Amino acid sequence: MDRIVQGMSINEVLKNLRSIDDYVICNTARDLSQSDFKNRILLHTDLLTAEAREKAGYFSLEITGGASVHVDILRKQVDPFLKLELLRQKMPNTMFQTLCRGVNLFGYRPYPQNVIRFTVKEFAKYVDVWRVFDFMNHIPNMQSVFEEVQLAGKILEPCICFSTGPEHTDDYYVKKVGEILEVTGDEILLCIKNHGGLGTPKRIGDLVAAIKDKYPDMVIHYHGHNTDGNDIGRITAAILNGATIVDAADHAFTGYFGPPPLLSVIQTLEEYGKTAVGIDVDAVIETSEILRDERPHYELFESQFKGFLPTVQIHKLPGGAMGSSFEQAVKGGFLDRMPEILHDELPRVQKELGNYWSVTPGSQILWTTAVSNVMEGERYGNCSGDLKNLLLGKYGPFPFYQPADWIYEKAFGPDWRKTLEEEGGIEEIEDMDIDKERETLEERLGYKPTEQQLVTYLQHPNDAVDFFKFEEKFGRSYVLPPSIFLKRGGFTLGETIEFTDCNGKEHLIQVGPKQKNEDGNINVYLNVDHFQRVYVMEAEQAAAGAAKQAEMSKEEIADLATIGDLRAPFSANVCEVVVESGQKVEAGDRLIMLEAMKMQTPVVTEAAGVVEKISVKVGDAVKPGDKLVKLVIAE
Amino acid sequence: MKKKILVANRGEIALRIIRAIQELGHIAVAIYETPDSAALHIRVADEAVLIGDGPRSDYLNIDTVIKAAKNHDVDAIHPGYGFLAENPDFARACEENGIIFIGPSSEVIHNLGNKVIARQIMKEAGIPMVPGTSNLSLGDAGLQEALDFAAEYKYPIMLKATTGGGGRGIRLVENDEQLKIEYPVARAEAKAAFNDENVYLEKVVVKPKHVEVQVMADRFGTTVHLGTRDCSIQRRNQKLVEIAPSMIPDQNLLDRICDTAVKATRAANYFNAGTVEFLIDHDKNFYFMEINTRVQVEHTVSEMVTGIDIVRTQIKLALGKKLAFAQEDVQLRGHAIEMRINAEDPQNDFMPEGGKTVSVYRSPGGYGVRLDGFVYQGFTIPEVYDSLLVKLTVFGFSWHETVDRLRRCLKNYVITGPKTTIPFYLNLVNDPDFQKGDFDTSYLETHQHLFDYTVDVSEVNKLARLIAEIHHKKENKYAA
Repeated sequence: MDRIVQGMSINEVLKNLRSIDDYVICNTARDLSQSDFKNRILLHTDLLTAEAREKAGYFSLEITGGASVHVDILRKQVDPFLKLELLRQKMPNTMFQTLCRGVNLFGYRPYPQNVIRFTVKEFAKYVDVWRVFDFMNHIPNMQSVFEEVQLAGKILEPCICFSTGPEHTDDYYVKKVGEILEVTGDEILLCIKNHGGLGTPKRIGDLVAAIKDKYPDMVIHYHGHNTDGNDIGRITAAILNGATIVDAADHAFTGYFGPPPLLSVIQTLEEYGKTAVGIDVDAVIETSEILRDERPHYELFESQFKGFLPTVQIHKLPGGAMGSSFEQAVKGGFLDRMPEILHDELPRVQKELGNYWSVTPGSQILWTTAVSNVMEGERYGNCSGDLKNLLLGKYGPFPFYQPADWIYEKAFGPDWRKTLEEEGGIEEIEDMDIDKERETLEERLGYKPTEQQLVTYLQHPNDAVDFFKFEEKFGRSYVLPPSIFLKRGGFTLGETIEFTDCNGKEHLIQVGPKQKNEDGNINVYLNVDHFQRVYVMEAEQAAAGAAKQAEMSKEEIADLATIGDLRAPFSANVCEVVVESGQKVEAGDRLIMLEAMKMQTPVVTEAAGVVEKISVKVGDAVKPGDKLVKLVIAE
Repeated sequence: MKKKILVANRGEIALRIIRAIQELGHIAVAIYETPDSAALHIRVADEAVLIGDGPRSDYLNIDTVIKAAKNHDVDAIHPGYGFLAENPDFARACEENGIIFIGPSSEVIHNLGNKVIARQIMKEAGIPMVPGTSNLSLGDAGLQEALDFAAEYKYPIMLKATTGGGGRGIRLVENDEQLKIEYPVARAEAKAAFNDENVYLEKVVVKPKHVEVQVMADRFGTTVHLGTRDCSIQRRNQKLVEIAPSMIPDQNLLDRICDTAVKATRAANYFNAGTVEFLIDHDKNFYFMEINTRVQVEHTVSEMVTGIDIVRTQIKLALGKKLAFAQEDVQLRGHAIEMRINAEDPQNDFMPEGGKTVSVYRSPGGYGVRLDGFVYQGFTIPEVYDSLLVKLTVFGFSWHETVDRLRRCLKNYVITGPKTTIPFYLNLVNDPDFQKGDFDTSYLETHQHLFDYTVDVSEVNKLARLIAEIHHKKENKYAA
């Protein structure tokens, strides 16, 4: 078989894949970054390895999608499109692969159809292989993405999300594959998406065999995670039973919850007489040699929970969510309660909520519910907006069974049946007026946005605007290596910083002294390309002190709410202001929508009244006790 | 013989004059006020005298300057422009103290500085003039004279302070009502500013071009001109951009203007360097405006196209030399444009940016580029003086070449700290009308889009700012 390269037609690719008895590899760099480094591996690092990875001869490089699009703009300050463009320049032959959450795209809740199609169309200019899934395995949720990918002439790779439990039988999955084929036709790759790294090698082998039995021509791509340290076993079983593509990652960055090391996969399967087609082992090793030097800069993003975690078979958290979950546990101060949350509550919640697939956004719902159940003391006492939507079937029908009535009652009160009847079912999301959004974006930026900027904006409006403004102010910072961009605690006096900017111009910056101004601000002196410059920085301690004082207790916040002074109950971002000043509101009305930990929570008034003052706007970050809305309570 | 010459000025022009003095092998003496302690002209001069804390008052104080000159046994004083340059009392004080004043005589300065006398001299010499009055009578009689003049020559008219200059004491009047209001105000303002409440009227030439002629005269009866300059691009009567020669495509007209300028200079019994200013209306009528009895800010453009060092010539003439060239020796070649790079924010009504420190100063160079400035990296611009940082003068064989060179130079300029007029000028050089050489004094009013720009910060400076932030913050939020 010839090496499969970017630009080949789908038929050619499939013909090649069907003709081999061996297998090919997808380098799952994005999933590795997401699972083990909170998605923070910088483009700079990916560019360093681009040549070696190109030479290594992968079927594809999974380098975008999942949460990475959001993290690109939110944390890494890199344009997700520019990233692909720059990598493409250095990697002309390797196909790029993405992970798309169906109707939820690269976000956490459903997008309008026209936004989905627009987004897929723009990304399809760079992305060759589209892995598409839905956490409910609900095919209609993926259909528009399927159509757009096929329309763009790109390779479609629909997923069956995999999990374990009495309902998760071969029969169920084979039937699901049939349903997918009805929609897509035969010219696809099929992904077994084992995001948790669940099941034993035998279980995966059986599943692959069952699918191949029914659909012998099917090209199966097995995707797994090494959370329990045993994914190579599952990969081996998958290949031996007829899978053609597997996921693995560069070994210098592995070690936790992402895919297993490429080289180990290659070596293991070699013994079974299976060759990784097209792979240049030296280039695989070379890539890791480059990455090894970079890894120390990313230490902060590594899991706080060290070592493999075979208990994933109990709690089923997906590899891609492990890092962020532990991070929340550390920031929320409940890392010590993790065993209880992971081994008792999460499996219980999972069963209670229908034993669907623990993957975004469903995994976040399970996780937040479990955390809230443990931390609040009352199970389902504080249902998030997203949990309610799940119960109402807004994400799709429960695949196996509906949660028990008492959970509905907890969520919606005694009249829950009425609520379910009136509001239940998948909501038709109206198309967005994209032209109007373009105008809004232009207004917010002060210049005409590109179509790519618009797409990024439509995914995460506020974060996108912040990012574009960042770029305007700070330039294209992807040129900075992690040793600079992720530097903590400042540089040393006299330190020399070298980098090449996006125009290919080399620069040299020497760190000069810091000096306090009369007004308390700090002058930072830098010698930039042999010319001294001074940057005035605001003093920061004072602001931090003031914020600390303002923090209020839960009780205080609840008390104030009864007199119409609604405060933020937790640290969050304001994602929607529902009411206007002067508006009449009834008890139970939503006033503000807050978003924290990717989940939305409404701020609801308990009393009727008139909105007197709104203290926040969309995009504001609020801390517990910050003023949101002031109501004049009706007598 | 080595002479000692005091430069009674500051900023770029002080430096310009000191260079000429030193090139001639004479000794340059600088004076300065305390706010100018860090100024470059002090460093470059051979001797420097602190004349007081100022600000401005000591540079303007005749006694102080004369005293400094005498203490230092100075032979001559060059007044530059502004400050005491056109003050006849200062020229007279020099004359009385046996110091050579590098410029015309005090009498000529007095006559030409008084607009009414000047008009009288020019009228008698047959120089074309904008219709106007002599000094208006005091009180209501003066107002009636003004109303009568307006009735005869039609609005708009200009109310002007008889003693004045630099664009001050001038008011545009469009109708009778406005005239009644402005008349007493103008008088009061003239009195306050120049200690002379006399005002007069002139018919306003609508949207004229401002064209001036550089002249040089020795004491031996030779007067030559160095061609024209167009200074039409102004804001509030203050020049921003000057070019030489004028781009009016009518050589005959320009020749007539130059000849008239020489005639006017002779009529005034003029000596040394001067500038005869004219307004040209859209029907190619030209009118005498005034004679400036000093070296002009924009003298550089005439130097570039003639090859004649005006300041050097000024000194030599003052020291009694003959003009070393005749009119036929003066050949104009190519084009020159000068832009005044000011520490001002054009988008905020040219608000001065004094008090700010020039943290980066990188200037362009190369063929056809001339810089007359006095700032350096680390220099804090005094708040108490004018905002001119540096004059960028470029020379080119053709107009287009000159404009291209100017654009390149503006792009090469890096000045951080104060806002400057550079981004505004970059818009200006890209404006089609400017590129065609088509502008009059209404240019800025009719080209408001020139003010629409965003300052383009270089990529490395943006990234350096990010690095400064990462360096400064206790927590790197990008690594959190």
